[in-house]
Amino acid sequence: MTAAAGGHRLARAPATAALLIILAQASGLTRAQTDDPGASGAAPRAAEHGQHRPQEAAPDHAHSLSLDGAGAVMNENAGTLPRDCAEVSRDQEITVYAGREFAAEFPGNTFGLSQHEYYVEPCSRITVTFVNNDDVRHQWMVHGLPRYLYPTGMFHIEAAGGHSRTGTFIVPSDHRTYLVHCDMPQHMERGMKAQLKVGRGSGDLWSIPGVSGDFERDSYLPRGITLWFLLAVLSGAAIFSLLTYRRGGLTLPGGARRHGVRSDREA
Amino acid sequence: MIAIRKRWVVATALLVALLSFPPQWYPRPLRVQSAAWFGASDYRSLPESEAMIDDVVEEACPVDASGWREERVIEDIRIRRSPTCLVDNPYAVAAFVRGTNNVSQQVLLESGLTPDAVEKGRDLDGDGDPDEIHIRLEVTELNGSSPELDLPVTQFSIAPGITPGLWVFSPKALGMATENFESLTAQTLLRLPSPAIRIEQGDRVQITLENTHYMPHTLHFHGVDHAYRDANGEGNDGVPITSEIPVLPGNARTYELQPRVAGTTFYHCHVQPHVHVTMGLQGLFVVEENRPNNWVQTLNVGSGHVRAPSRAVAERFDREYDLHYLDLDGDLSSRIQRFNDPRLITKSMHRQYDVTDATSDYFTLNGRSFPYTFREALVVARPDERIKLRVVNGGPSGIALHTHGHKVTVTHRDGVEAEPAARVTRDVVWIAAAQRVDLALDTTNDGLHSYGSGVWLFHDHQSRGVTTDGIGPGGHISAIVYEEYLEENGWPRTSGVPWGPYFTEAYYRKERPIWASYAPGLFSDTGVDVWLVARLTVLGLATGVIVAAAFSGLRRRGAE
Repeated sequence: MTAAAGGHRLARAPATAALLIILAQASGLTRAQTDDPGASGAAPRAAEHGQHRPQEAAPDHAHSLSLDGAGAVMNENAGTLPRDCAEVSRDQEITVYAGREFAAEFPGNTFGLSQHEYYVEPCSRITVTFVNNDDVRHQWMVHGLPRYLYPTGMFHIEAAGGHSRTGTFIVPSDHRTYLVHCDMPQHMERGMKAQLKVGRGSGDLWSIPGVSGDFERDSYLPRGITLWFLLAVLSGAAIFSLLTYRRGGLTLPGGARRHGVRSDREA
Repeated sequence: MIAIRKRWVVATALLVALLSFPPQWYPRPLRVQSAAWFGASDYRSLPESEAMIDDVVEEACPVDASGWREERVIEDIRIRRSPTCLVDNPYAVAAFVRGTNNVSQQVLLESGLTPDAVEKGRDLDGDGDPDEIHIRLEVTELNGSSPELDLPVTQFSIAPGITPGLWVFSPKALGMATENFESLTAQTLLRLPSPAIRIEQGDRVQITLENTHYMPHTLHFHGVDHAYRDANGEGNDGVPITSEIPVLPGNARTYELQPRVAGTTFYHCHVQPHVHVTMGLQGLFVVEENRPNNWVQTLNVGSGHVRAPSRAVAERFDREYDLHYLDLDGDLSSRIQRFNDPRLITKSMHRQYDVTDATSDYFTLNGRSFPYTFREALVVARPDERIKLRVVNGGPSGIALHTHGHKVTVTHRDGVEAEPAARVTRDVVWIAAAQRVDLALDTTNDGLHSYGSGVWLFHDHQSRGVTTDGIGPGGHISAIVYEEYLEENGWPRTSGVPWGPYFTEAYYRKERPIWASYAPGLFSDTGVDVWLVARLTVLGLATGVIVAAAFSGLRRRGAE
């Protein structure tokens, strides 16, 4: 073919992405977000970014979907046990509210959830009622569940503005932390991020409002900080000079006495 | 003793410095004199050309795995074949024509839309098509920032490796914003430009702006017949200073209109318009003539080919294209990528950014710059066709749109039809900021309207528009391509330079020589003059010795 240049585009792995993979693995981010390590989570997303697959085959029909004007529930599972569970350990119910009002307590957030951390028992059956107090759509999406039970590892509730939807799913037995978020553009980034801890969980994810810090935190510095910093440097130098050039030398912790250069010469 | 040795060292250093000083840097008269005395210097080869670097080359035309390009009938709607490499989702097209409330669950799922994205109601005039239309638009940020990654999220590349921050109106799409959880790339319904809206003259239209974004926005209908106040007496113009409080994040507002006049118009956000309009919150708004049984394609995602044209257009034209030009300022669009906190973002965009000092860096047609324009923003033709082009210039300055191989006829300006006598036919059409022109492209090979089949470029003839941040070919270059020049996969069969280099990020990062792909060596980047570097190293060492000696001399004198 004359037109198309040869060679498929390989996954670009810029240094930043590689760094993130390392950091993510070190922090348990990857482990927490996916069932097969390295296949999912924020870091691999970074590694694969830019791959162009605009006309991907039709949506995954393995998903089960209940869709109406109030929203949608995807991959609901109230009956099938994960392979590693002999029985449902417990039925747990969670009601989550979503909307701008829940961001108010976190400066710099625009969207929020009434609860950003959920604790459940291994093998428990969880019924989530997701109440949307805003006038626009929001989502409560869990990632990293077993793919044999939940296509693409996802359980997803979407509530239209002013509506609520309820959905049920069963978690496996291992102690892990799962990512919960609203996947609408910039909603997770602006506060709609939470974590679901099964049992003891597997550590905290980054950027959970009220729980964990931002990996890329903005700098909030006042005007004139450069001058302030230079002043601090000068002050440090002045303090050092005062201490070391005092007649009789510098008093070190522990009472030992050390003579400065000038005292040596005088001696 | 020591002093004498130091003097010798300094003398030697001075001599070395003089000898190592690059001869070409001596004053010209000195060099002329020296040439007169000693003649020409010996031949020393110039540095070798640098070797070509094997870049990662993107696939120019990804395979159409889903068969979206072919003609098909979905829900009794004929979706025309779209022969370019990348095309819109035909199920979404069908849902936009029928209404997302009128299609089967299967089609709705394939379209990726919510059931209320485009609702179509009653047929008020009894002519066989719905006249109650309710469109819901969300606001999507593309290539935005994230508190976890130092990469843009919900990515949309306008060209290889070029991901400016963008805000767009988008149809209500169900589920994930990206292709899948492993990808950062936005799903196909979320893209630049904001969709072209199409309604029929006289339709009772409601458009709800569901503000899913973290900044306030409105909808303003530019050149579209709409009342200043809606039925409840509230502002309906979208202008914060005169009409209404903007829609805050998480809130929604419904605008009402019933346009009496057909024509190609425009819509955009009117909050801090000097920033928001440039960020991409703007789209074409087409009011089609009222005809019986006229089901129009309410949204045209990404603009481009209209795959289900209206009756009036189908009567007179063989094809219809929406062409949306938009210039982007990298200095503005990168500001949403520099911060995470919306308070810092808004300060940076609305107070620190000064549009009076602005220059455009990226030039897009239907959301893409060259070479991506060749994937999806082509105008495809056959001989002896009439093609309608609805063009809007969304950028801040004018466009001198030039068509190679053709002279087009300007039939409408700003949606108003020109008198037949006033219709000009030309190959450069001036389009002012926010202006719309309807062009009739006639592919009759008569030496005037068309010079025959081929791959004929069309672009702004002002130089900036054909570059991407100053690198050409880039910008909104696209082409009128005759079908006989299209490969099976929709890629134009060209006989020019290889496409490979244009599909690399390095080319648009300005890191690759322009002509190296077909004239290797001749125009490559040059290697380094090692000899000169060595001389400068020696010169530097000698200078250092001299300076150190001078300082020690001064200090000694001071001590004495």
